[in-house]
Formats: sequence, structure tokens, C-alpha cells
Amino acid sequence: MATNLKPVDVVVVGLGAAAGVAVLPLTRAGIKVTALEAGSWMQPSDFKADEIHNNVRRRVTTGTKVWDEIPTFRTNPDQRARQGAAPTMMNAVGGTSIHYYANSWRFHPWDFKVRSETVRRYGASAIPKGSTVEDWPLTYDDLEPFYDTIEYEIGVSGKAGNLAGKIDPKGNVFEGARRREYPMPPLRDTDFTEMMQAAARKAGFNPHRSPAAINSQPRNGRSVCAYHGYCDTGGCHVKAKNSTAVTTIPAAQKTGNLTIVERAHVKRILTDDNGKATGALYVRDGQEFFQPAKVVLLASYTYENVRMMLLSKSKAFPNGLANNHGQVGKHYIGHWANREVTGLFPVDLNIWYGANAQGVVVNNWAEDNFDHAGLGFIGGASLTVNHEVHPIAASAMPTFGRVPQWGSKWKKFVNENAGRWLGVYAQCNSLPYENTWLDLDPEVKDKLGDPVCRITSGPKVNEPRASAYAAKKAEEWFRAAGAIEVITVPNIEGPSLSTHATGGTRMGLKAESSVVDPYGFAHESPNLGILGGSTLVTHGARNPTLTIQALSWRTAEHVVKNWKSISG
Amino acid sequence: MKEASITRRTVLAGATLIPLTAIRRAEAQQPATAPAPAMNAAMNPAMNMDQRKILDAFIDRIIPKDELGPGAVECGVGDYIDRCLADYLVAEKPLFLDGLANLDLFSLRTQGIAFASLTADKQDAVLTAIDNNQAPNLRGFFNRVRRLTLEGMFGDPVYGGNKNFAGWDLIRYPGAKLAVGPEDQSMKTPPKPFRKELYGAGENHGH
Repeated sequence: MATNLKPVDVVVVGLGAAAGVAVLPLTRAGIKVTALEAGSWMQPSDFKADEIHNNVRRRVTTGTKVWDEIPTFRTNPDQRARQGAAPTMMNAVGGTSIHYYANSWRFHPWDFKVRSETVRRYGASAIPKGSTVEDWPLTYDDLEPFYDTIEYEIGVSGKAGNLAGKIDPKGNVFEGARRREYPMPPLRDTDFTEMMQAAARKAGFNPHRSPAAINSQPRNGRSVCAYHGYCDTGGCHVKAKNSTAVTTIPAAQKTGNLTIVERAHVKRILTDDNGKATGALYVRDGQEFFQPAKVVLLASYTYENVRMMLLSKSKAFPNGLANNHGQVGKHYIGHWANREVTGLFPVDLNIWYGANAQGVVVNNWAEDNFDHAGLGFIGGASLTVNHEVHPIAASAMPTFGRVPQWGSKWKKFVNENAGRWLGVYAQCNSLPYENTWLDLDPEVKDKLGDPVCRITSGPKVNEPRASAYAAKKAEEWFRAAGAIEVITVPNIEGPSLSTHATGGTRMGLKAESSVVDPYGFAHESPNLGILGGSTLVTHGARNPTLTIQALSWRTAEHVVKNWKSISG
Repeated sequence: MKEASITRRTVLAGATLIPLTAIRRAEAQQPATAPAPAMNAAMNPAMNMDQRKILDAFIDRIIPKDELGPGAVECGVGDYIDRCLADYLVAEKPLFLDGLANLDLFSLRTQGIAFASLTADKQDAVLTAIDNNQAPNLRGFFNRVRRLTLEGMFGDPVYGGNKNFAGWDLIRYPGAKLAVGPEDQSMKTPPKPFRKELYGAGENHGH
């Protein structure tokens, strides 16, 4: 039998990138929050400048629980889904914001209105076949104040390209208008970032520096980035990466209103007969507990948010929590993001050091920033090059058909070229489709005997076309930068397990086609809020975390403003 | 000896606010004579001597010793792979050992003798045949051994490979630094080998 705990105002399931920001406005308003986190606090001493530790064995990115919860994957419903090799999730206070690259983007205004803007400019037939894409129930302008809040609360480095309508070519000229400049300038420019910006301009593009939740200046008593080059899939050894574990969570703790329960493995969210959420049932050190709360905020990774809802069946919800319209798991989006284009340069690039987010980005071929008439696709891809190449990854380089992949000739080749090659990271605008969804695997179970999440992801046409188009532009960029070899290896299958998994409990106006309302609360369960990537409606051509955090803050403010009606 | 290097990392990384100058100072104070990372063979090897002989012959052809410096065998890559199979890749061990046996069978069938007993040229012929997909049951094994060879050759020496940083010298990777200044990211003056702070080796270690 579970031990019943004392009721609290809000119980949060998963204290990562999303709830990690939401707890701050809640606790500042005097609301008592208990956060159930499957992982523990991590310390700078847990983070090492060691590629095998971080990238090969993934010792930082994955707590013990997630290894048992890796989703299964298949490309059509007739297949038996197979479990992926490594999880994309994270158990720790701060969650994935501990090990992420910290590229901190606002989505483009177009991302919020993909359907209506596409129909307006190209006609209804331009909507990709089989896509379930809808406009978001809110616009970029609605979210702008919250983007701004997050950028200042956690600290983001960057350069504005559209300051209240005034375009600055040093920043992203395609971005939506922002009310003020970033709180910190971009991360340090280097010979490499300058070379790639000059080359992009030569090719006629508008390059700019990556926005990053990393300190380019000392901030709030924490260090500037040390640029040591083990940011990717590692944590920060000087707390210069602005994960929620070093920013908003400690700030929320200072209010005295936040209780963090580490190593809490949440099994179910319980509901009463009217469909109201009553609290969370969890296991800690072998003991079962029930934490009652007036409001429940489910805030784990996309796969786990969906899994938790499908597992939480009750009298009110026989098919899973808030799933009486069968929408939970639908409209899932695996972010189409690849390194298809690789270039070989005649000089040492010296990109061993530095943060991954110390990058250069071209947005000319993303969103609707160019005319798509006659191209056969909508959207596009942002193109990024960055610092931070580790030695094992560098040695695994393509040999451009010049030598075999082993032996003395190969050895001579990597001696000369391991520091002279580069891939471009192309992130596509990605949409939900009828043939792509999440549900529970009928066979594979976790340690508690619960089924893991299953991904079904059918073929797409739009995203590979957009990616191929952007790849041509990346080739031009590399040629302009002096590359002596450029190869493109198209990815037409798309992601299996995605590190940018979104959708599955999407936001919308109607219970018939979405799970949560514009504020992140379930249509069918009025005191259940959902935070995280699962609420996204479309996926921009960029990393999703800042958007997830802006939405989380917005949900939390909504709770504060409407506490009586939501908790009552 | 692993503890020694971890402790030093911890000391440097534990502070909450580290201006670059402070890290520089800390680097300068690190003893140049700190112990090298552990290089001992695993106490309980995953492979027996015959299996290890096949593996060593294999990785010696993936990265041979030549005028550019030591190869995978000299760099401890065999130790790296053995330790992986004895520990975090233990689930993969049976498949891996099957791969070694199948390689030997393929060598016997196509060359008439065991793989490790072939001349280097003949070993290359066997591996080229596999690389060209003439032994489909060995394709995956070939890729796996190559991948693990790269890990052992170019990973942190604490895991048993990359002896004397010869792998990093080969690809001209300078070594990790806890704090990197603008001059370290210059393309005009490539960074010099930097092995003292994190690995306890002198600046010229291995040269």
C-alpha cells in the first residue's frame, strides 16, 4: 500500500528544462510546490573533459531509470518495434538542460501559423499530404514576452537581428521582433567563426552567431564559459551553462516554497471520477507513496509524458489520462535534423576547443524565408557549423573517396585531415503526420513491469525534400569557405529516437484534435497541466528548449493568475 | 592512479566562479610529475590468449605501426577493447568472440592458415575482402572492431589505450584544457600538445 503524504498545492512530475523554469513563478507567488524527480542533483565534479565518459558511454546524459525506458521504434505498423540503443532522456535535477548544447532559439513567427500561412501564400494543395499540421492556438507575439523572460531569467548570449522591427545584419535578420537585446553578447568569435561568416556572406547568405544559454560574460555570480570543448553531452564544470539546475531551480528554492524529492519514480497520475487529477503515485527506494495535490504538472520528456498519460488509466479515463478523444500520442514529431553535408578544408580549422553553441548559423533556407513556388515542399532548414570536435569523432571522419577507412594510407590521411573537416547541422521545420505517433509497446517493459513508449514513424516526403534543398545551399557555403571536397549523404529515413522529440500531447483549441489548451492544461482534466516538448504543435528549424521553457513559464503564470479556478 | 587525476579535476571544477586567470594560475601550479593514468591490463581479461592474438593481428592492420608512429597494438588498443568487453560491453562479449572465431575460419578457408599467422599483406587481403563485403557474416564485426579501435586509439588514456598520447599526436589533437583562451582557438597558431593539467603528463610527454 502506498503511503499517503500531506497534500501540497502543486506536484510537478520531472524537474528538468521545462518544470525547472515553471517552479520559479509558482514559488515566487507563494504556491507550495513539490517536485518529483527521478534523478538526483549533479555536481560539477560529475562532469569530465572525457569523450568516452560523455559521448561513448553516456555517463552524464543518462540516469539509471531511463535505460529501462528507451522507446521502441518502427517505420510501419506491420513491424515489430525494436528498442533503441541509447536513451535521449535524462534523470537529474535540471534534466536535459544539464547536458544539452544550450542553443537557445526562439521559433520563427511562421512556425506558429504553418497551415494558414502556407494556404495563404501557396494554396491548400501545398500542405504536405498526410500531415495533421494546424496553426498553434497562440502566435509568436503571444509568446514573445515569455521568450524575453526566459532569456533574462536563465541568461542567453546572442545578438538581436530584429529589435522591435529594426533589422540588424549582425543578428538573425529573419527572426520575429524582440522587445530588447539579448542579456549577453554572443559567445566569443574565433578565426573559424569569422571565416564561416565571411564565406556565408560571399555566398549571398545572412550568417549570424548562435544564441546560447551559456555565459559569454560573468553573470549572477557564475563564471564565463571556459570554452574547453566538452559541453556536448556533458555538464558544465564551471556552471557557465545556464541549465535550470544552476539558474531557476536554486532561485525557486530560495523562496522556501519548493520541495524537491530526488529518486522519485512516478508510476501514475491519479484522477477522481470527474476526471480531476488528484496527485502522483511514485516509488522511492522501493517504497510507494501518493502525493496529493490541487494541481498536477506533468513535465517529463515527450516520450515519458505520453507514456505516463497512457499508463494512467482510470474510471474517468479508460484509455489513458485525458485521452477520451484518442489524441494522446498523436501528432508526435521526430525532429528532422541531420549532418548530411561534410566538407574537407585545406587548413587546420582548430575547432577542437570551444562550446558547440559557439557556432555560425544561416537561416536563409529555413521556414518561409524564401519563395517555395514550384519547389514541392514547405519549410526548410537552418544550417549551423560549430566548434567542439572530439578526437574519436574526428578520427571517424569520412575519407572522401581518397583512401580506405583503415591501414597506413588512412593513418596518413587522418594525420593530415582529422582537424580539417566539418559537417553542417541542418535542422528542418518538421510537421506532424497521420503515419507518425506514439503509443505503448505491447512487449517491451520497464523494471516496474510497465510498457515502454513505442514510436511509429512512417515515410515523409516534405522534410527530406526541404533537407536536400538546404544541403545544396550548405555545399555552396562550404565551397565559398574554401572546401576542397564536399560530400552529401542524404538522410531520407529521418530520426528514430529524437533528441528533439515533440508533440504527442499537442496544444490546440479543440479536444477533438489536441490534448491541451493554449495554456498547457488538459481539455479533459482541468487541473492537469502539461509542460515539455510534447505540447508543441510544429517543430521549428531549430533547437526546441527555449520555446518549451517560454511555454512552461506561461503555463505557470497562468496558474498563478487563475489559482482559485484551477485549484478549486 | 585514476583517482589522482579525478581528484584534481574535481578540485579545479568544484569552485563556482572561476575567472580564466585563476584557472591559469591553478594550471601553472599542477605538479608536472603527477602519475600517468593506469595502463595495467585487466585483472580478468575478457579474451583468452588465442583470441587476443587474433584481435591484435586485426587492429595492427587497422592502425599499423609505421613511419608516422606507433599503431593500435603499441597504443594499448587491445587492452582498451578487452577492458570494454570485461566490463561495460560484457553483454556484447559472446558476439564479439564469435566474430574473432569467424575471422579465423574465413582466413583458414581463403588463405589456408589462421589469421594471426598470415603475413601483413595476406592479412590486408583478408580484411579487404571483408571490407568489400565478400564475407557478409563478418561485415558488422569488422565495423565494430574498427569503431572500438578508434575509441581505444583516440580516447582518454585512462581507459587503457592512446598510450603516451600517441593517438592524439597522430591526429594533432592537443588534449583537453579546463579553460581555453582566444589564442587556443586561433587558426593561425595551432594549439600545442597540452597534456599536463588533466593527464598528469609533462608537455613533452611521448615525444
